[in-house]
Amino acid sequence: MMADRIILGVTLVLAALYFWATQQIPSLEIGDPLGPKAFPRLLGIGLLLTAALLAVEMWKARHEKPAPAEPGSMVHYLVVGGVAVWTWLYFYSFEPLGFIIATVLYLLGLTGYFNRGKWIANVSTAILFPVFTYLMFTKGLGVSLARGVLPF
Amino acid sequence: MDTLTHILNGFAVCLQPINLWYTFLGVFLGTIVGVLPGIGPSATIALLIPVTFGMNPTSALIMMAGVFYGTKYGGSTTAILIRTPGEAASVMTTLDGYEMARKGRAGAALAVSAIGSFIAGTLGVVALTIFALPLASMALKFGPAEYFTLMLFAMTAVASLTGKSPAKGLLATLLGLMIATIGIDLQSGQPRYTMGIAEFQDGVGFVVVVVGMFAVSEVLRGLVDIQRGTGAKLLPISGKLWLTREEWKRSVGPIWRGGVIGFIIGVLPGAGGTIASILSYTTEKRLSKYPEEFGKGAIEGVAGPEAANNADTAGALVPLLTLGVPGGGSTAVLLGAFIMYGIQPGPLLFQNRPDLVWGLVDSMYIGNIMLLILNLPLIGLFVKLLLIPIGILYPLIVSIAAIGAYGINGSVLDLYLILLFGVLGYIFDKVDIPVAPLVLSLVLGGMMEQSFRQAMTISGANPKIFFNSTITITLVIMSVISIAVPFVIPRIKAMLKSDEA
Repeated sequence: MMADRIILGVTLVLAALYFWATQQIPSLEIGDPLGPKAFPRLLGIGLLLTAALLAVEMWKARHEKPAPAEPGSMVHYLVVGGVAVWTWLYFYSFEPLGFIIATVLYLLGLTGYFNRGKWIANVSTAILFPVFTYLMFTKGLGVSLARGVLPF
Repeated sequence: MDTLTHILNGFAVCLQPINLWYTFLGVFLGTIVGVLPGIGPSATIALLIPVTFGMNPTSALIMMAGVFYGTKYGGSTTAILIRTPGEAASVMTTLDGYEMARKGRAGAALAVSAIGSFIAGTLGVVALTIFALPLASMALKFGPAEYFTLMLFAMTAVASLTGKSPAKGLLATLLGLMIATIGIDLQSGQPRYTMGIAEFQDGVGFVVVVVGMFAVSEVLRGLVDIQRGTGAKLLPISGKLWLTREEWKRSVGPIWRGGVIGFIIGVLPGAGGTIASILSYTTEKRLSKYPEEFGKGAIEGVAGPEAANNADTAGALVPLLTLGVPGGGSTAVLLGAFIMYGIQPGPLLFQNRPDLVWGLVDSMYIGNIMLLILNLPLIGLFVKLLLIPIGILYPLIVSIAAIGAYGINGSVLDLYLILLFGVLGYIFDKVDIPVAPLVLSLVLGGMMEQSFRQAMTISGANPKIFFNSTITITLVIMSVISIAVPFVIPRIKAMLKSDEA
């Protein structure tokens, strides 16, 4: 299985990085026989043992036929990638534009694509939801949300 | 009789109007979250933490616990009407519940799951009330070495039981522990793994991890399904919302047995509600006079598993409250909520804050009554929620997640983190790495390291301290066994499969 090989590789790289980063912690061992590095070192060793277990599992499963690829698997890369980028833009504009405007734009985009054609429902949700939640959280619950370019 | 006074005082706490209101709000939210596929109790509780921050901790925790056990009620509705579990533990209910609905007995299926949930849920709280104190007083003797080995056992059990592969479960556990080491080391004051980012000095908040991995990743999965057009059809509630005498007679046994199975599985770390309901289902199928009806609309196949996954929630609170060590993902998030309020669950809490502990436990009796009303006569209202197009619902969940994540510190970094963990959670799901072990070890990581270092300080850096008492030795052995168990389970599964065939 390709995915499992990648997981094994990433685990080993991660263990190496973590050991290296643990070495970088300056230590002053006063009154604490172990210091801040000991527990992380144990975790690093644990990660190596996990890598070994992963290898054992892959070895045991070597004769199993890989599951047939799901139909339309390209689709999910595109959807996940697209939604992730759109969400990143939402978060990027969260403070400059403010919660209300950023959320209206975000919701218009996503509902417009995933709930196609239902314009009335999409537009009214995209506007009413951010305004309502903004007022509820900032005025009612005292949770501060980004105000952005709007005056309130 | 001191205990009885505390238990009765707990009722005085939870019957205060404000706490009744928060109990109601919790179970109401729980039912909604349970009915809606796509968002579960863990993400909801995590999102509630920033919102409830200024509240009285007792009320806030009563509400969050309400969400935790309330979702189990709502989850069955979706399983019965659209054959999609509204919540992971309702997966067994899809088998016979949906078939009952297709045969025009949706009302009976909904009724038996609400009644079964109520009986088993209440039974579970009774057992929690009885077992909590003896366990807590036993745990008073625990030192750092005992706590370290106990957490080790909880983590290994969850790692090996939640996923398909124990190695991947362990990987998730270690990732959680590693994320927990990010930030200023409490004992030496040294920053660790902060990568020069100032916000990381306080560590990576578990709320952003949980919200990302449970809510955002679920949205990504749901949107992919929309794109593929794999939506399910909603069946109407058909037939009377009640049971015939015959159906009732067939359900009583499964409800009781499911309740007992669920509670025991709940107390043990690792297994959780899904396994409890699978066990109950296979037990009922084996005991039934009509095993051939299972999968074709047998009411026992709804009554047992639904009872089991509700008793499981009460059971799962036993180790959380008495030992301060949760045995699964959702209770780990609850522990995170306790800690955010500066409350450490465990034996000392029973001595220092009996009002809080018993107020919380007693509120569950009332919450279960409220849930019975919400899920039986009023279930028609909640079913309307399923008419919300998911193309609108999922984008809204991201916005709610953003409010929750941003609301904690007002930091945009937390927003990027929920996206990062959301994508990571999506990938984990695709490659079969379970998420619950990561969340559990992230929440326990700090405590685990502290108890490890305290134990080693006591022993003068001699690791023998972890093999000094019967408790630690037993826990170490159990940890080893829990890693070995998955190598036995495939055989059991093979046996079950040959049974079904």
